[in-house]
Amino acid sequence: MNLDFSILWGEPGRLILQGLVMTLKLSAWSLLFAFLIGLVVGTVRWLGFRLLEPLCWLYVEFSRNTPPVVQILFWYFSASYILPPWMFMQLRDFGYEFGAAILALSIYHGAFIAEVIRAGLNSIHKGQFEAARALGLGLLQSLRFVVLPQATRVIVPLLVNEATALIKNTSLAMAIGVIELTYQYKNIDNFMFRGVEALTAITIIYMILCLVTAGFGTLLNRHLSRHAGRRIERRPALTSE
Amino acid sequence: MNWERVWTAANWERLMVGDLFNTGQAGGLLVTLAIGFGAMVAGTVIGGVFGVMRSSERRWLWMPAMLYIQAFRNVPLLILVFWAFFFPPVIGFELSQFSSVLLALTLFTGAYIAEIIRGGIRSVAHGHIEAGRALGMSRLQIYLWIVIPQAFFNMLPALAGRYVVSIKNTSLAFLIGLADLTEIGKQIGARLMTAPIEIYLTLFLIYFVVNRTISSATRLLEKRERFNKIFLHV
Repeated sequence: MNLDFSILWGEPGRLILQGLVMTLKLSAWSLLFAFLIGLVVGTVRWLGFRLLEPLCWLYVEFSRNTPPVVQILFWYFSASYILPPWMFMQLRDFGYEFGAAILALSIYHGAFIAEVIRAGLNSIHKGQFEAARALGLGLLQSLRFVVLPQATRVIVPLLVNEATALIKNTSLAMAIGVIELTYQYKNIDNFMFRGVEALTAITIIYMILCLVTAGFGTLLNRHLSRHAGRRIERRPALTSE
Repeated sequence: MNWERVWTAANWERLMVGDLFNTGQAGGLLVTLAIGFGAMVAGTVIGGVFGVMRSSERRWLWMPAMLYIQAFRNVPLLILVFWAFFFPPVIGFELSQFSSVLLALTLFTGAYIAEIIRGGIRSVAHGHIEAGRALGMSRLQIYLWIVIPQAFFNMLPALAGRYVVSIKNTSLAFLIGLADLTEIGKQIGARLMTAPIEIYLTLFLIYFVVNRTISSATRLLEKRERFNKIFLHV
């Protein structure tokens, strides 16, 4: 075994950086959409709307109990059957892999974030919401100004866990050929036979990404709970990767 | 929709046991469950050891445990699978696809379960441990009769979540070519070429049934009386 890490300064390093950019883009978009989905679904489940609530429950149960890889494959391969042809053609020219990966990851993680949001909202006494409604605030207003700000302190640490899980799960997008970090490992291994060096570098990059995210979460949590009497316990539950 | 082309007896047989009855090569749900349950059991053992080490007060015990947990929790499972499959040949021995996925998944699950177990141990009120000490129990006795029964009950929901995740995670075995449920599904899909929706919905259905069964089974234990009856004989 002869390892030569200096090769990382050349072509392989460039490929890895390209992969890193793609991983970051993928994570950012998926996180955004997953958060939006989670916010809506979690709130609907907490409010318990009669018709929407069972639908949201079905979505959360389904999405949490099926593997993310299979979801990615499903959205990638069935697009040409679900979408109208002209739309699919345009997406294909644009590079549909990226879109399918974002779609699948946001749907998968959206379900977990919905549970996180619901757990946060459940930690607030329902009377708060009722009082806000009784004082004449609208539905969205009482959520926005009364309930959600209080729930943030429970939601943020759990949300950061979800974010690291999502960053790790972006590696699955290589199954459909998105050229991100893990795909670049296969690339470098196949064409330059420098697999071990590339894999070491990529492992370290993922570790740094996750640790930085977790550290950012700790800081954010400390900032949010600076007025609280005691630190909020992190509850281990709801895992997704 | 052409379900009748997907739901044939031959396809179901391949999804369940692979080519076990034809070529003797097991696959499908059988392999998925074997890896999933293997990783659950082995991961729980490893996680138990490291979780107890992590909650120790001695530096030489908690330091290595923390390093293990942080190292394996902050890396995608797929990268671990690649390490387990592509690295051994470099240093001169080979792992089969099955054992490398099992190894990676065990270490990954173990790191998470160690954190869960540490949380469970911390959840036991300190007064209970002091009471045990006051009654003259040894350290081992305190662990066996006071800490573990309470911690285990508190950990159950998180453990159940982890077990479901480890079944879900077996699905990326197909990326190194193991004939697990996802790979067989992909093969059937590639052979038919016209029914991706049906085949992937079938895969969803199978995974869903397996995972819901596991989480419902553990949910049964979350009733205190039932739990005591089974594990503590009271």
